[in-house]
Formats: sequence, C-alpha cells, structure tokens
Amino acid sequence: MEKIKSNSMLAQDQENHLIDKLLVNDNKAFDRLVRNYSSKMYAVARSFLHNDDDAQECLQKTFVQVFIKIHTFRRDASLSTWLHRITVNCALMILRAQKKQRTISLEDFSQHYNEYGERTTFSDNSGNNLEQIFERQETKTVINEMIRTLPEKYCNVIQLRDIQELSTKDTAEILEISEASVKTQLHRGRLLLKAILEI
Amino acid sequence: MLMIKRLMTQYVPGMLTCKDVDSFLYDFHEGQLSIAENLKFKLHLSMCRECKTYVQGYKNAIRISKEGVKTAEPIEKVPEELVQIILKSRIKK
Repeated sequence: MEKIKSNSMLAQDQENHLIDKLLVNDNKAFDRLVRNYSSKMYAVARSFLHNDDDAQECLQKTFVQVFIKIHTFRRDASLSTWLHRITVNCALMILRAQKKQRTISLEDFSQHYNEYGERTTFSDNSGNNLEQIFERQETKTVINEMIRTLPEKYCNVIQLRDIQELSTKDTAEILEISEASVKTQLHRGRLLLKAILEI
Repeated sequence: MLMIKRLMTQYVPGMLTCKDVDSFLYDFHEGQLSIAENLKFKLHLSMCRECKTYVQGYKNAIRISKEGVKTAEPIEKVPEELVQIILKSRIKK
C-alpha cells in the first residue's frame, strides 16, 4: 500500500515538474509531453473517429491547442484529464466538420404499452443472442460502425460516458450541455443502440 | 404469470408497470434508485419476462458497445513521424 502511495506521489511530482518546465517553454519538456501522452490521446481520438488518418489529424490539432493553451493550465485537474478533454473536443470538432448523415431515430424503435401499462412491443432477442453475435470478430467492427451512425448527440454521450467512462459532470462540460441533458441523451442513445443491435 | 402481474400492478400499491420500468431504467442502471424503488424494480423484473429481457438487452448494449470499441481497434504506438510533425508544429508557432 505504502509503495503504491509513494509511486502515485512520485508520478504527481514528475507531472508537476513537467508542467513547471512546460510553462517556461522548455523544449525537452514539450518533447516529453508529446512522447509520454500521445499514445493515450491517440487512443481517445481513435475511439471517436472513423480511421487512423482522422485520428492522426485530431492528434495534431489537439497538440496545437495544447501548445497554445498550456499557459492557461491551472492544475485544478490532472494534466492527463486536461489533455483528454482537449482531445475529445478536437475529435468532436472533426466529427461535426464531416457532417455525416445520420438518419436513425429513436421513434422508429419506441416502446408501446397497453391500457395496463404492460409492454406490447418486445424483442425476442435475448442477451445471450447478443453475446453469441459479439464473439465474432467482424461483429465488433460492425458495432463500431453502428455507434458512429447514431445521431451525433447520442453518439457523443455514449462515447464519453460509457466508452471513455467520464463522469456526467465532465461530459456535460465538454459537450456544453446540462447534466440532465447528458442523462437523457445517454439513456436515449443506449435504447437506440440496443434496438439497432437487436434488429 | 401475465394475470398475476396485471392484478398486482392494479391492486398492490406502489407496484411498477412496464412503463414505469422504462422510466426507472436509467437510474436503475446507474445505481441511483432508492432502496424501495430498487426493490420494486427488481420485483417487477421477477414477474415480467419481457421487462427482464428488455433490461438485460439494455445492459448488454452498453457492455457490447464498450467492448466493441476497446477490442476492435487495438491502439498502436504513435508513429515517430507523427511525433516529429507535432513537435515541429510547435516550433513553427
């Protein structure tokens, strides 16, 4: 336990030292920043974007923002969290610029109830069927395509909350919407994804 | 079972309908229901095959989307060429 704690403190000290150097425009510090953090940032970008070219473009744009904004970094979040946020914002900007046509609507899959409030539309697809389908490698690629074809607002919250595992608060800040909207859009997005997966 | 469910939702106070289950689903998954609501939710699921399947499908959709993204695209090391382009962009700035 002590060892874990001391490792964590050491990492924090190293990060603080790196930030100090970045703030005085130390070239070696910028080199370390790019080399130490780019893989993780690339992974975040790639989870949002369609291909490696877009992810690489995102990484470049993200670092341009980082180089410009580093002097505004206030240390109220960790450097990793701050970089993560900028990466997500850049990925979202690229996605918006691409303006992919998204035509799927939750209304197409809405639930219906009888006079007793009982469900009258339901799928026979059990969770087990989904599991069996998911075991196939090609299905994983199709699932990613499905997520990307969701309406942008649903796709974004699923990416941030369920896949990136950010908090509702952080998601709301990045997307510049209320926490209530995050919850609503996440729930609707999940329902839509569930319906698509069960077709 | 359908009749039992219908009678219970009609005559037992506080019993959830399928429609109620839908409105509680998000909070149930996020662990944000009160103890009483959580019990009512689970009681409904124990009586309702359709809702049980529906809730399971919701959970699976979340898990599958998460695992799909994580496993379909293994992350490789960022190419050195790209690192150099990024570092040069700072110097140009």
